[in-house]
Amino acid sequence: MKRELRITAYKCKACGRIHYPYHDRCLSCQNREFESIKPEGDPRLLTYTQIFNLPWGFDVRFLVIGVVEFANGVKSMGQIHVDSIDKLELGMSLKASWEPIRVVSGEDVFGLVLRPN
Amino acid sequence: MRDVAIIGVGIIPFGRRDEDSLLDMLAYASLKALDDAGIGDQGVDAVYVANMGAGILQHQTSVASALVDRLSLMPAAADAVENGPASGASAIKNGLLAVASGYYDTVLVAGGEKMREVVGWKATDFVATMTHPEVEYPYGITLPGMAGMFTRLYMEKYGLTQEQLMAVAIKNQKMGTLNPYAHVDMIITREGIQESPDAVVNNPVAADPLHFYDMCPVSDGAAAVILCPAEKAKEISQNTPVIIAGFGQATDTHTLQEREDPTNLKAVTLAAKQAFKMANLTPNDVDVAELHDAFTVLEIAESEHVGFFKKGEGGKAAEKGETTLTGKIPINVSGGLKARGHPVGATGVAQVVEIVFQLRHALDKNRQVKNAKVGFTLNFGGFGNNVVAFVLRRSE
Repeated sequence: MKRELRITAYKCKACGRIHYPYHDRCLSCQNREFESIKPEGDPRLLTYTQIFNLPWGFDVRFLVIGVVEFANGVKSMGQIHVDSIDKLELGMSLKASWEPIRVVSGEDVFGLVLRPN
Repeated sequence: MRDVAIIGVGIIPFGRRDEDSLLDMLAYASLKALDDAGIGDQGVDAVYVANMGAGILQHQTSVASALVDRLSLMPAAADAVENGPASGASAIKNGLLAVASGYYDTVLVAGGEKMREVVGWKATDFVATMTHPEVEYPYGITLPGMAGMFTRLYMEKYGLTQEQLMAVAIKNQKMGTLNPYAHVDMIITREGIQESPDAVVNNPVAADPLHFYDMCPVSDGAAAVILCPAEKAKEISQNTPVIIAGFGQATDTHTLQEREDPTNLKAVTLAAKQAFKMANLTPNDVDVAELHDAFTVLEIAESEHVGFFKKGEGGKAAEKGETTLTGKIPINVSGGLKARGHPVGATGVAQVVEIVFQLRHALDKNRQVKNAKVGFTLNFGGFGNNVVAFVLRRSE
């Protein structure tokens, strides 16, 4: 079953700046009122890395992590599931899904997972 | 506000110090600083202790209270200061303001961290707790990973190359071999880390596009300084006083993704500008600088954001040798974080200690910047979201 992306971003009602994560005041104009928005469209890859020295909680050899921007301007970090980092390039379009990204105390933690189209 | 002088400094060799507790290290460095100032048998008015992770790594809190007890400095006021890897400079800033305000006369600032007693993944995880707890940390991002993503963008925007990054690593590791307090005592060569068939094993990718030798080591260590009003410096101590001529501190968004241009280290630029303005000096006046090269890319990017080079020129300058001991602006002649090591709470204090050595003209010829009069330090917290800068001046 395909899960909804559980990302809620916040668009400033005064200046339109999009925030993710939540801030109590707008990063541009300090306004306190926001409209909740969801990411829309396929995300575009802004930057990425492949890390081999992993922190606690990951039983894999490496992680590929990137930052993407959705069509409506929402930006988020996500794990990229790809067999070789050579298949990635800046600006490419990716497919987004909401899947387990790590296990904590035996429970799956879900997050943004990205794959090349 | 009074001018504030540094009259005593102390540092212990960084590295793996299995025999010493965090408190041992803080005490050793503090005693060296007190003795250096010539007040080893006296008290101080206040103590600030920079430490990032004792609560996590040693299951110990209130380290400032513990250090005051250990050194028999009661009833001195004592506070611990935590600002991630910029804790050291933040603690000095607190000491500086306390003395400058006229409230305290003598202040001990000590910074220390004990990171090597935990396994690698735990140390990596501890440092990663600086990232955003909801939208970054759960993905497994680490500080090297943040640096990798930053480097990719910097390469794309400014044409930064692996060769330029390597020039920083080679320079700093060479200088580290000349610094008795440095963690890493090993010269590396371009052949060994890039050109030879063994390079892929010697210098594997760590956080693409960064390699193993682009990273600083995980270290144990401590450093300390003694502050007093500049007008009393010569009464209290025989050392050549070093004046804290300017400081600056600035913050930026917690996540990299929310910066309009993630290659723009705004907090670095602002902190440096504030420090130079207060000192009434410019980047051109600096004779020697200690920048926060936790990753080689940061030395280059910071050298540009501080104003030593134009954007996009720092890498070329490093490759041309302009940041070596005898270059246009010597950077990290201590070996920097890359070779001296990076016990996170100690680093900002160690940077200032190094500049004090330089401005006293107290170092061996092979590491002393000739006739240095003005020094600069930059301590980089988080991934550039809390940065502290100092301009230091030799008092004649």
